[in-house]
Amino acid sequence: MATLSIKSLGKTYPGNVTAVQDVDVEIADGEFIVLVGPSGCGKSTILRMIAGLEAITTGDLHIDGERVNDREPGDRNIAMVFQNYALYPHMSVRKNMEYGLKNEGLPKPEIAKRIEEASRTLRLEEYLDRKPRQLSGGQRQRVAMGRAIVRDPKVFLFDEPLSNLDAKLRTQLRAELKALHHRLGATFIYVTHDQVEAMSLADRIIIMNAGRVEQIGTPMDLYLRPATRFVADFIGSPAMNFIEGTVGEDRRSLAINGTQVLNMGQELPARAGAQVAMGMRPEHLGDAGGADIQVSLQVSFVEQLGADTVVHGNLSGGAQPLAVRLHGVHASEPGSEIALGCGMGHVHLFDTATGARLN
Amino acid sequence: MVENRPFLTFLTHAVLIIGVIFLCFPVWMALVASTHGPEALSRSPIPLWFGDRAWENYSQLLAGGLPEAGGVPIGRMMFNSAIMALVITFGKIAISLISAYAIVYFRFPFRMGFFWMIFITLMLPVEVRILPTFDVVTKLGMLNSYVGLTIPLIASATATFLFRQFFLTIPDELVEAARIDRAGPLRFFWDILLPMSRTNIAALFIILFIFGWNQYLWPLLVTTDESLYTVVMGIQRMVNAGEALPVWHYIMGTAVLALIPPVLVVVAMQKLFVKGLVESEK
Repeated sequence: MATLSIKSLGKTYPGNVTAVQDVDVEIADGEFIVLVGPSGCGKSTILRMIAGLEAITTGDLHIDGERVNDREPGDRNIAMVFQNYALYPHMSVRKNMEYGLKNEGLPKPEIAKRIEEASRTLRLEEYLDRKPRQLSGGQRQRVAMGRAIVRDPKVFLFDEPLSNLDAKLRTQLRAELKALHHRLGATFIYVTHDQVEAMSLADRIIIMNAGRVEQIGTPMDLYLRPATRFVADFIGSPAMNFIEGTVGEDRRSLAINGTQVLNMGQELPARAGAQVAMGMRPEHLGDAGGADIQVSLQVSFVEQLGADTVVHGNLSGGAQPLAVRLHGVHASEPGSEIALGCGMGHVHLFDTATGARLN
Repeated sequence: MVENRPFLTFLTHAVLIIGVIFLCFPVWMALVASTHGPEALSRSPIPLWFGDRAWENYSQLLAGGLPEAGGVPIGRMMFNSAIMALVITFGKIAISLISAYAIVYFRFPFRMGFFWMIFITLMLPVEVRILPTFDVVTKLGMLNSYVGLTIPLIASATATFLFRQFFLTIPDELVEAARIDRAGPLRFFWDILLPMSRTNIAALFIILFIFGWNQYLWPLLVTTDESLYTVVMGIQRMVNAGEALPVWHYIMGTAVLALIPPVLVVVAMQKLFVKGLVESEK
């Protein structure tokens, strides 16, 4: 259980390759933080710097008020779970969990007690004497978690722990992980590239792009008020629709490609003549009747998901791709047109050049 | 796979059986010859079945002191061979494990330089560097000793290279997990790397033991003291026994005895050996 303070953290590799820069975040005791972003955005590098596996180039890292920049990974009181499990292949499950504790010099009865507790929590009792290769992927990942739990660390670090598992198991372990966090009350830092995982697990999400933090906030912050176009695009599935254009003189219209004009029911919060990208989530598009913004969608194909139907197509009379998520089962012929509307409250407006939010 | 046809099964078996006979015939001849008297072997045709002097020949050989073999008892020569083969094997495995560990897991100046230096020596067999090595051994006063017999043969580029390749296949995450588990470099080596290399070590043990046991040229050069002769040298000396006729029954008996230790090593470690060559553990 610990607080974590990260101040202007940066990592530069030899050859002046900057992987991470200017990361500032205060993590409260017992918080579940998820680092999310596309591959190569530096999220794993941050995690590895917290673990001590990667040297910190600039900035400071404090765990519980103590500066740990120069401490060995073993002395930081952290535990880490790896994507490929990283279990010792020649040791039994019990030995795998014991190893770190033995190296710490814990007395034998204490070790036995902790392993018993952890294996009960993770339902691993019957596998204690097996070797990792005799276990399934999900079981192996549970052993890796067990190895972390028995150390009773201040901070748990997870590096894409569920990426090697199949979809069903992933959902199941996600729930277990959430329950585990609840029970242990420890600080969790979790790296993933999967936004669904991030949304469902996190207390707060740190969303990264190209080595920089784009936004830090609760899942609903990120969903309802994305700070940048990148965040808006990354969070949500199917992804947000963007219509790029120029704000008209009366600020009540958007000119697309100079030909098509989209009329608004309200004034846009941008100056006349500004280049903007207007974002609307597929699930916020609905009945056209009386909505602030009215669009017409020309259907190209339909995804029937049962509970929802996702209709993909273009803005009628243009090439702007557009998707809408409709509740229940809908049959739409390719080529047909659907009239849709969106309330102003669900419109996200971004500057085309900088990607910054305008409303 | 190939289709299962009776004719093909017959053919493959026939080829295999012929191959086995071809390979085993010399061993068979040695076994048979060691059970006959000297006259039986200088006559034509050579006998193909066991004679009646097995007991006599082998007890003669083991009791030792055959003038034809330079008077050195076989037991003594077998002992020397065993010492030489074992020291070379253990020495090679230990040194190459440690140097591969250094090259793969530690960052030090000229790391790749050292690796290439080791690698280049792969291209120089013992025979090529035998003169300078002999010179060094002489100047260090190591002639006629077990030290001189074994140490120059211990450094091994092949084994170092093999262990390096194996260590490179071990995922980085495992090393990192060990660091988080507070395992220092020595602990990591002892607790994780060594057990994981078990099958590789076994495979190398067999290869190196046979290599050490069969050394001929080097012992011939550095030993003049009869009490340090190895069994392979002993056989050679018996064949070249000057004016006298070669004592084939004794020579073959010695050869059979010299075969036993390598065979025992192979039989004992065969399972691990195959695993080491075939399996790549996850």
